[in-house]
Amino acid sequence: MNDYVVSLLAEVKAKNPAEPEFHQAVHEVADSLKLVLDRYPEYRKAKIVERIVEPERVIMFRVPWVDDRGNVQVNRGFRIEMNSAIGPYKGGLRFHPSVNLGILKFLAFEQVFKNSLTTLPMGGGKGGSDFDPKGKTDTEVMRFCQSFMTELYRHIGPNTDVPAGDIGVGGREIGYMFGQYKRLRNEFTGVLTGKGLNWGGSLIRPEATGYGCVYFAAEMLASRGETLEGKTCLVSGSGNVAQYTVEKLLDLGAKPVTLSDSTGYIYDEAGIDREKLQFVTELKNVRRGRIQEYTTKFKTATYTPLDARMDYNPLWNHKAQCAFPSATQNEIRGSDAANLVKNGVYVVAEGANMPSDLDAVGAFLQAKILYAPGKAANAGGVAVSGLEMAQNSMRYSWLREEVDARLRVIMKSIHKSCVETAEKFGTPGNYVNGANIAGFLKVADSMLDQGVV
Amino acid sequence: MPPPSGLQDFHDLMRYRIMDILLVASPYDSFVLEEAGQIGERVVGEFRNLDLHYGPGLTTVSSGEEALSLVQEVHRFNIIVSGLQLPDMNGVELARRAKELKVDIPVVLLAFDAREVKDFVAHHDLSLIDRIFLWQGDARILLAIVKYVEDRRNVVHDTETMGVQVIILIEDNVRYYSSFLPAIYAELLHHSRRLISEGVNVNDRIMRMRARPKILLCSNFEEAWQVFCAFQDNILGIISDIEFPAEGQLSKTAGLDFARSVRQLAPDVPILLQSSMPEHWGGAADVGATFLLKGSPTLLSDLREFMIEYFGFGDFVFRMPDSREIARAHDLKSLEDRLSTVPSESIAFHAERNHFSIWLKARTEFALADELRPLKLSDFTDAEDVRAHVIDTIAHYRRDRSLAAVGDFDPSGFDARHDFQRIGGGSLGGKARGLAFVRMLLGRRRIAETIRDAVVAVPAGIVITTDVFDRFLDENELRDFALHAVDDQEIERRFLRARFPQDVRDDLYAFLRRVDFPLAVRSSSLLEDSQHQSFTGVYETFMLPNRAPSLETRLHHLVRAIVRVYASTFSRAAKDYIRATPYRLEEERMAVIVQRIVGTQHGTRFYPDFAGVARSHDFYPTPPATASDGVAAVALGLGRSVSSDGNCFRFSPRFPEASIQWSSVKAMLASSQRAFWALELSDETNPAFNMRETQFDLDIAEADGTLTAVASTYSRENDVMYDGISRPGTRVVSFAPILKHKTFPLADVLDQLLAIGQWGIGAPVEIEFAVNLAKSELAFLQLRPLAVAHADEAVTIEAYEPDQLICGSKSVLGNGHFEDICDLVVVDRASFDRALSRQTAQDLAKINADLGKRPYILIGVGRWGSADPWLGIPVTWDQISGARVIVEAGFADFKVTPSQGTHFFQNLTSFNVGYFTVNPDAGEGFVDWAWLKAQAAHRETATARHLRFEKPIIVKMNGKKGEGVILKP
Repeated sequence: MNDYVVSLLAEVKAKNPAEPEFHQAVHEVADSLKLVLDRYPEYRKAKIVERIVEPERVIMFRVPWVDDRGNVQVNRGFRIEMNSAIGPYKGGLRFHPSVNLGILKFLAFEQVFKNSLTTLPMGGGKGGSDFDPKGKTDTEVMRFCQSFMTELYRHIGPNTDVPAGDIGVGGREIGYMFGQYKRLRNEFTGVLTGKGLNWGGSLIRPEATGYGCVYFAAEMLASRGETLEGKTCLVSGSGNVAQYTVEKLLDLGAKPVTLSDSTGYIYDEAGIDREKLQFVTELKNVRRGRIQEYTTKFKTATYTPLDARMDYNPLWNHKAQCAFPSATQNEIRGSDAANLVKNGVYVVAEGANMPSDLDAVGAFLQAKILYAPGKAANAGGVAVSGLEMAQNSMRYSWLREEVDARLRVIMKSIHKSCVETAEKFGTPGNYVNGANIAGFLKVADSMLDQGVV
Repeated sequence: MPPPSGLQDFHDLMRYRIMDILLVASPYDSFVLEEAGQIGERVVGEFRNLDLHYGPGLTTVSSGEEALSLVQEVHRFNIIVSGLQLPDMNGVELARRAKELKVDIPVVLLAFDAREVKDFVAHHDLSLIDRIFLWQGDARILLAIVKYVEDRRNVVHDTETMGVQVIILIEDNVRYYSSFLPAIYAELLHHSRRLISEGVNVNDRIMRMRARPKILLCSNFEEAWQVFCAFQDNILGIISDIEFPAEGQLSKTAGLDFARSVRQLAPDVPILLQSSMPEHWGGAADVGATFLLKGSPTLLSDLREFMIEYFGFGDFVFRMPDSREIARAHDLKSLEDRLSTVPSESIAFHAERNHFSIWLKARTEFALADELRPLKLSDFTDAEDVRAHVIDTIAHYRRDRSLAAVGDFDPSGFDARHDFQRIGGGSLGGKARGLAFVRMLLGRRRIAETIRDAVVAVPAGIVITTDVFDRFLDENELRDFALHAVDDQEIERRFLRARFPQDVRDDLYAFLRRVDFPLAVRSSSLLEDSQHQSFTGVYETFMLPNRAPSLETRLHHLVRAIVRVYASTFSRAAKDYIRATPYRLEEERMAVIVQRIVGTQHGTRFYPDFAGVARSHDFYPTPPATASDGVAAVALGLGRSVSSDGNCFRFSPRFPEASIQWSSVKAMLASSQRAFWALELSDETNPAFNMRETQFDLDIAEADGTLTAVASTYSRENDVMYDGISRPGTRVVSFAPILKHKTFPLADVLDQLLAIGQWGIGAPVEIEFAVNLAKSELAFLQLRPLAVAHADEAVTIEAYEPDQLICGSKSVLGNGHFEDICDLVVVDRASFDRALSRQTAQDLAKINADLGKRPYILIGVGRWGSADPWLGIPVTWDQISGARVIVEAGFADFKVTPSQGTHFFQNLTSFNVGYFTVNPDAGEGFVDWAWLKAQAAHRETATARHLRFEKPIIVKMNGKKGEGVILKP
């Protein structure tokens, strides 16, 4: 690690004591920016990194509300407006008793780069409250949201800061907050994303991450003159991301062969076709059953239950060309990565957040396969958030196909950005570096342009 | 709580009872008494003839001194019956000497010669004597003496307490009343017993006999008038001689005068005048009295006729105002039926004259008689209104009365709407006893009046008591085999081949003739539902469609189900369970409940709209609810969803709109109910019919129309859970329409029922229920005490020395004692690195998998199951599923709000896992990290250690206080 990064980190630790998650996040970013910082001293002179790690604004406020029994409750609200160099602040709100300044700052910091990578004009931010939705009635949640927005509204706006949902903030809470904002401001604007379809929400939201991940993988293959057509693909999970990953893979002629849930996985050598996907959709979304039932219906498939004692996950041990981990964190370990490579997989696109642990990432990079980290491959969700803002600005709601098409364009742009950046900085084909640096550069260059602010 | 006016407590009547007679007779008088056989046996025989359930003891002595000595030494005698002359003193002397000895028992003289009486009376002061009777060879005189004395002593209390009625008998002739009194008592007791028959059991019948009319014997005008005035409101009738003393002299018209005086104050009181002179008939008619000729050969039958007609001992005769008879009713049920059809003028006629009350009192239905006391037409809109009022009052009363006790099964009278009766004389067993108690409670607390928007009741059914079980085992010689057999299938096979008692089979046949609804056949063993052992799920329950066209087929299935319940008493699961309790299998007896399944038919499925369990104490409270606010768990369909797979909806009856179970929509989607249980009605014809519920998907419920009442819809596009099913999307059983929009007052009703149940049992309770929305019916299926830690158990941290404990906390979820855990997995607080939390989760998952079925205690830092790896160890439930107790401690370097088990709430509650929260920095509990670190590890990874001990680690959790300790082994 070079001296600059070392001293930078020391300063971050000194200024932000007892925030190891923030230190960790800064460390990771700084580590991957070594190449940039060494090559372009203007970033160091303008203290870009020192400025990036410092939020532009931190708003902390009181949120009083009255519960159903007439008792006054007091919570604390936060909004960290981290960086608006490339667009208005954008990031979720989290309502959870664990919320505090440290956690939000680290999340806001990561959000800056995630949003930048989408190539859309979105800055980074994060917020929330230590309010606990558990044990609350609808009216209590509403009163809290209204009180929360009654303070927050003066700090946000469609061109200033556009919050979205996160843990504890779903469609219900977005609705209540939007209603209060509209009342206070007397204006109907796209000040929040994740809105209901009837009042400004965008189509393709549930599909976005899965579709986006496949689009990214298609671009990666296209860079080698290949397509997804005929490729055997291993997919983990069976929620939204996995289902739509499979759907888009089928659209593009690929052959998905696995799905999983917390109890185990199924392997269907004949491939999961549309009928089978329909079955899984109904199984998971309507009946909320177990993936094992797939083999009851489709007898040629096999089911393997989960065994935590094993050192590897057998789902990743089948012959295939592509892998789409879409279930959870750390589901691909070093041994799994080795199995994937051994079985011929040369495209890994992460639909979940950080599904590959450090050993696995290392193995992928070493094998020089087409490995797309989650922050690039699963940016579809964030991208559609941006598309919602765009539609709101136009006062228009696009059709599914239109949103889908734009999503594809965005994923293409992200891919292009990653590839070009990785190439430019001497690590061609390294999407990790490409994603990290590309995200940073856009923000850094914009900050340079905008003066010392 | 005093018995409400709607129900009666007969236990308090006839407080004074003669249990032991001391008969003092000279040797000659004794000889006379014994002429027709042993007097003692004859007395007992007379009591038995009248079906009185007890007869007093009889001790005979032959002298006054002997008698006095005996009553001093032995204090059990309630009455002395003495001859006029004894060898050493006379009867009066005996009475005087007894009084001097402060022996306060009545003395009655029994003469053996009529002339002797006259002479004796003329020469002795009889003020200390209760009465003189004349022996005429009939042992019934002793019965009459006993009843006479009892009635005298009990009349004030009994008339005041319950309005027991009084018959005044006026007769001065000793010979006459000595023969007449026994006869009239015999008639009275016979009629009283005959009339107490409707819907009660043997015990009840015996109790009600205490409320039969009392007879007060008077010998002169003044005495009679005093009695009349004292009990004027309770006079059932007067039976009087015409000639008896008045103002100290014999009056030839005393009876007529008396009748006239009575008529001025009570014009409707029935009066029977007796005389040996037939010319008095006219005088009797003039005062509106019936006349009886003494010495007539039909005296007794005339008396009987009089009592039947005027004392209400016979049918209720409906008449028009012109006295024309139009209908009759012989019991309460037929009275209720006739009241619907007779002209309203007849009802008004009888109501105004108090006829209903009189007739009801003869049947000891005092409370009802009180409600139907003389009604004034002017109090009602019209005569139809009177009819409605009378019918309603009787119907309610009959229903309330049937709630008070479990009556014997009535094959012809069983009312399938609400009766709950027994077959057999043994115990009802725990479950049925709970249900009977609930019925009584619901009646007592007038639940129908306090809960107006729902009908709360125990479903109709019968209980086959434990003596049928005993007979079944003994007659088929199965007991020994069953106690020792280990093959459940073999036990069932042999039981099914055995003979079922024919009389019970006949009763079941009669029952099936009257019911056409599906039936639940449920265990009700003696040991079930004890306060300390729940026995939940140990024995079998079977479900019968009861739809086969042939009654024989239905009976066949019913008997098989009952026998299978019997067989389950001896299953391996039952034997294992009992072995772990202080009880022995030999002590166990099985009663069986056969009860209506609450629900509605949809196609070939039968199920309630929803069913559930409510507890008055919650071991896993979520604020704002506290532990004592209770908790309920409900599911669409039959209750098996709640008891078996745990995918049900939990809520606090006091805070029904608060989301206490899930903190996010995602969690709700993951663990809410996915399928429901129903009874498949078409199965009955299938040879493989197994008498159990079948599971169906929620889309079937939606097609049936039953999902509407209980579901919400999740929109993936909007990431919102919408109440109801008006929008497209994923259906989720959320009970929002009921709990948020109050389409049925479930929360209120459960809150009230829990309070009533807890009051009734005197301890926290659990109730099972099912709801049929179409009828707004909430059926009570079970009431049992909740096994909570005993108050006298010192499960507090302060009760232990710190060095005895691995962990102590005052923030504990769960309840119970664990003494079978020898493994402990710990993530050390000092060395834990938050950056490695994911790695830690994986290490723990491996240890969990390796431990297999061995339970363990898991101690770690941060919020267990946190999605955010910086705030805790991000394990999923299946990665720590073997943990029986989880301890969550705060970080050493970072303050984080404890999760209180939030992330695994569903699993904690389903599997009764204890959850300790320890935050020493906030002064909340502690963990002895140093001790844990010093223990040798059985196995160790970079982030976690697995310790194994030879002796078990004892865990004690007091669910009431929320405190717990983990003791060092």
